Amino acid sequence: MSGFASSLPVSVTVNGTTYEREVEARKLLIHFLRDDLDLTGSHVGCDTGNCGACSVLLDGTLVKSCMLLAVQADGASIETVEGLSEDGELTALQQSFSDHHALQCGYCTPGMLMSATALLRANPSPSEAEIRKALQGNLCRCTGYWNIVEAVKAATDA
Amino acid sequence: MSSSTTVAPSPVQAPQKGWAGQSVPRKEDKRLLQGEGVFVDDVKRHGMGYVHFVRSPYAHAHITRIDVSEAEAVEGVYGTLTGEEVAALTDPFFQIAGAPGGQIKDYSLAVGKVRYVGEAVVAVVAETRELARDASELVEVDYEPLPALVDARKALDADAPVLHDDAGGNLMWHGSYEWGDLDAAFAEADRVVRIEELHFHRFNSTPLECDGALVEYNRGVGQWTIHTNNQFPGFAAIMMGPAMRVGLDRLRFVTQDIGGGFGNKITSHPQLVVCCLLARKLGRPIQWTEWRTDFHLSMSHGNERWFHDTEVAVRSDGTLLGFRTKALDDAGAWLRYEPLGGVIWAQVTPGMYRWRHIRVDFTQVATNKAPVSPNRGYSRMQHLWFTERVIDIVAHELGLDPVEVRKRNYIRAEEMPYETPNGCVYDSGDYARMLDLALELVGHGEIETRRAEAAARGRLLGVGIGSTLDSGTNNFGQSRLINPELQFSGNNEVATVKLDIFGEIVVTLGTTPQGQGHETTAAQVVADILRCSPDDVHVRAGHDSYWNSHAGFSGTYASQFAVTGLSAVKGATEMLAGEIKRLASAVFGGVPVEALELADGGVRIKGSPEAFLPFMACGAIVNANNAGLPEDLDVTLNCRYVYRPPFQVPDVERKFGNLTLTYAAQIHAAVIEVDPETGWYELVDYAAVDDCGSRINPQIVEGQVMGATAQAIGAAMHEVFEYDEDGNLLTPNFYDYHVPHALDMPPLATGAIESPSPFTPLGTKGMGEGGGAGIHAVCAAVQDALRGHGDAIVWDSCNPYRRVWEMLEHPERSRALVSVT
Amino acid sequence: MLLREVVYAKPVSIAEALDLLAANEGARALAGGQTLVNVMKARAASPDALVDLNGIEKLRGIDLGADGTLTIGAMTTYAEIMASAEAKARPILGEVCAQIADVQVRNRGTIGGNLCSNDPTNHLPPLMVAVEARMTVAGWEGERTVPAGEFFFGVYLTAVGPGELLLRVEVPAGKGDGFAAVTLGADGTCIVNAAASVDGDVRVALGCVDAVPVLLRPGSADAEAVRAAVRAAGLDPPDDVHATAEYRAHLAEVVAVRAAAEAAERAAAP
Repeated sequence: MSGFASSLPVSVTVNGTTYEREVEARKLLIHFLRDDLDLTGSHVGCDTGNCGACSVLLDGTLVKSCMLLAVQADGASIETVEGLSEDGELTALQQSFSDHHALQCGYCTPGMLMSATALLRANPSPSEAEIRKALQGNLCRCTGYWNIVEAVKAATDA
Repeated sequence: MSSSTTVAPSPVQAPQKGWAGQSVPRKEDKRLLQGEGVFVDDVKRHGMGYVHFVRSPYAHAHITRIDVSEAEAVEGVYGTLTGEEVAALTDPFFQIAGAPGGQIKDYSLAVGKVRYVGEAVVAVVAETRELARDASELVEVDYEPLPALVDARKALDADAPVLHDDAGGNLMWHGSYEWGDLDAAFAEADRVVRIEELHFHRFNSTPLECDGALVEYNRGVGQWTIHTNNQFPGFAAIMMGPAMRVGLDRLRFVTQDIGGGFGNKITSHPQLVVCCLLARKLGRPIQWTEWRTDFHLSMSHGNERWFHDTEVAVRSDGTLLGFRTKALDDAGAWLRYEPLGGVIWAQVTPGMYRWRHIRVDFTQVATNKAPVSPNRGYSRMQHLWFTERVIDIVAHELGLDPVEVRKRNYIRAEEMPYETPNGCVYDSGDYARMLDLALELVGHGEIETRRAEAAARGRLLGVGIGSTLDSGTNNFGQSRLINPELQFSGNNEVATVKLDIFGEIVVTLGTTPQGQGHETTAAQVVADILRCSPDDVHVRAGHDSYWNSHAGFSGTYASQFAVTGLSAVKGATEMLAGEIKRLASAVFGGVPVEALELADGGVRIKGSPEAFLPFMACGAIVNANNAGLPEDLDVTLNCRYVYRPPFQVPDVERKFGNLTLTYAAQIHAAVIEVDPETGWYELVDYAAVDDCGSRINPQIVEGQVMGATAQAIGAAMHEVFEYDEDGNLLTPNFYDYHVPHALDMPPLATGAIESPSPFTPLGTKGMGEGGGAGIHAVCAAVQDALRGHGDAIVWDSCNPYRRVWEMLEHPERSRALVSVT
Repeated sequence: MLLREVVYAKPVSIAEALDLLAANEGARALAGGQTLVNVMKARAASPDALVDLNGIEKLRGIDLGADGTLTIGAMTTYAEIMASAEAKARPILGEVCAQIADVQVRNRGTIGGNLCSNDPTNHLPPLMVAVEARMTVAGWEGERTVPAGEFFFGVYLTAVGPGELLLRVEVPAGKGDGFAAVTLGADGTCIVNAAASVDGDVRVALGCVDAVPVLLRPGSADAEAVRAAVRAAGLDPPDDVHATAEYRAHLAEVVAVRAAAEAAERAAAP
């Protein structure tokens, strides 16, 4: 079984900081972020890859970190919700979420913010339909999505 | 697909308008938006052990053998807990019911028998999550399978499998409710509409965060600290303390941010007991994360209820005189918060309607399914769905306009406060006006034009109305209608408001918010009384038993915070305001209290702004500089207030009395288009109108209305906990249990009116659970769409595409359920 | 939610990947992971070893040949297909990929993974059958080409045997295609789907009704002919929480007709 390993060294940069750890091959990226790196902003809401609460940016691409192994992130640059604001200053997108009451319990919010961030980087002036399509992989049980869509729309005018 | 709302985010107005009524930005947002919320799985302790539950693969079976030795031998496994140990260490949970349901023995792990797929049998604790999961596969459990009971309608058959021998059968509770004169009503009726069977389905609100806990045991003082997201610690404590044979003060509950509750996080006490026992046994903190599949299998399904042999007495002009029905409630395998569902529906016995002659025969049975527990709208939603179905079916069968039938029969604004046939008092409301607003928002006037246009595209258009009440602030005395031996009544909530040594205003609540913005609305109420800004008011996040800011009923459930929580805040703040003035009076040399006012962050003599004592000075004097104060000055600036709503114990014999203090209302209108070839349909327009009395923060209220609407849409169209005949749950995760996403939502228009409650200190009413109106509206819309295409009757609250298609293909099946004489 | 122990390797070449797959009988290729990782989380299947294909550049990319044939690397993601100018040579590809799940899944999920997992509710297997794609499989004997109609055997069972890899998929250029599906909500779990192609021949491939796509040749794209072909196929679709066998069979007729009509319309368009 040469070439295979049950745990591997991983070097991953998250929000600009590089971490080096030995990680079991079977560990999911979301658990690596939450349990090993203490970055608890990304959340777990399901066990079938449907809810999107674990969404992060991996080398600029929006992914669900519950469907990636931590070892697959070796060498990658990850952005999580903790990396959006600096020194506690909310970004225009975050402020728009607050202004439009686009969060209630806040559990889906980190994933929503990452999905909206990915959208706005690729498409700075999305239509409402494009916003909804971009958020399709993020479930929310509190808001019904209407205010979240409004918040993203309003953030594009900023 | 845009939405229009009545509530735009508003820049805060000048203080002289008052903070109540303004959409003040939420204090909670800053931390949540930065991923700095503290949810229970974020809490870590050195050396904590992760617990994994071994769960039953059978719906019904004897446990013949458990062997944990192989699991415990694995390096990194800290220990296990079995039902046998639980039965030795704890007493069965207190049962709300009397005999027969009250005789069942409910422990926190299965003892001797399993009664639903997913029931927890053994707990395994290990160094890592993965290891606990692995080790659980080494636990050996032998079962002797038994026949499973899955259909509540068969639960009382002579040959039905019996879940609890201690109860002697599957009957858990039965009660008959009757008010008015049914014989007279049916004699007077011109028509009688009979509906053989209606079914409210099993689902819940699937909060995105599942249950969880981190439990620590302090051996020296025998104290457990339970970090959790249980949303009703008052109830959990009452259940856990006696079971664990410890005083309630040994159980400290700590919550901060909770990822949604909707009632589904009320009955986690069994798992919490397991964690407490393990923390003590293993001498280390115990961490429990519930995964989505665990939650679907084992937690908090909403009450599934059948309504059989319904008869409705109607006059030809559409006046509804009364009804009788037999309600059959499927409680699942255990009674956790049940059988309270057997009386809670009676808060809204007549729905929104004026009929006076009502009989409900209520039976609750056990089945081999997950135990039910409150789900948003708890028990009222089921009953209100029933009344709305009755209205629509009566209108449908008698060829009447469902709008006209509602208006003819709605309780009228001028009749408020209105006493229902069973003595509940609807405090205020104007249902007809709300209905008009909902119809206008959804473009009801143009519906026939739209119907024709849709038909040209091969689509069947339907419009439906759903009206619902959101009864809030329970009188727990209603529990005596379930079991006269119970010693519960009334309700309460607690708040403390204090000035710290530097004049900081600090508030603690007894509640456990899951996104309702309690920190923000509490600050608004405080700011209005102390004449400062909500930014000056620090409200502690979450709940902690150590704050001593809670009472027996503390928690966040049952649509009551705006009444109980905020009234407690009001009371505590008014106490504080009074103390501040008495202190200032003394400091100013005896100036009368009436000559003082609070303003600008302090207290001053009216008309003499130089005579001003800032809050900072007040706090400093009382806390650190109190020599020379008058001996009889009874001022601490640390005020604790318990709000107690005005209730009497209900009359148990007549089943009569006020069961809830406030009655918010929601009226929804839904427009759908059906593809008759497939039964597929979508919502093309939607309106939701809300009345929850005085709104402290309109944006937060509207957010609740929107969220509940989305949940109702999901429940009406897709979401169901469906079992096969062997008791296997067919929708155990989000792959098969479809929660709607952003593309599934219709355009939404919202409206609101405010009918203040005459019974509450702030004129507020609790709200948040009225979204069930969406289920009623979608059902009505489906039935309307099928009018003239077989005229099927919608008889189930969940109508996925396959059911709509079946109604199109075989309308005779549902039509056979209805007859008119 | 938590995987069993597994060993992992990330080869940089196809040859290395084949060696690794051959070295461990219980080894499985890890493509996008949007299906396999979930299967492993549920412990419904737990391969002993994972061979991560995400580092093999030669498995990515879309090539448009001079004769109009599209060659799509097995590790090409749905998002890449949607964004590809070359893939517009067969527009139905991007259109169907856009209906798979959500953005996050489309960013990682691959055409190869979709085809090799062959979940009956997947969209790409019936689509590949309808457009008569050809799959190139690499094994210890070398490479061979398998037509789509002979590629699928059952759930997770395809012509790609143990120790083998799907390298690329070839799709001829064309525009006379259609696709129709009934899903739980927008782009949700699929209840029934059908892909159709009209190019002198009329082909309709049904998904969700059997372990493998069911190919029909109705002779014409007319509704009656298509319906007759569906009925003649003697379908015995699964019964599950979303549809009875009877409902699914009915839906199969409807989506087959709709897919065929769309294919005919687009074939006829200039």
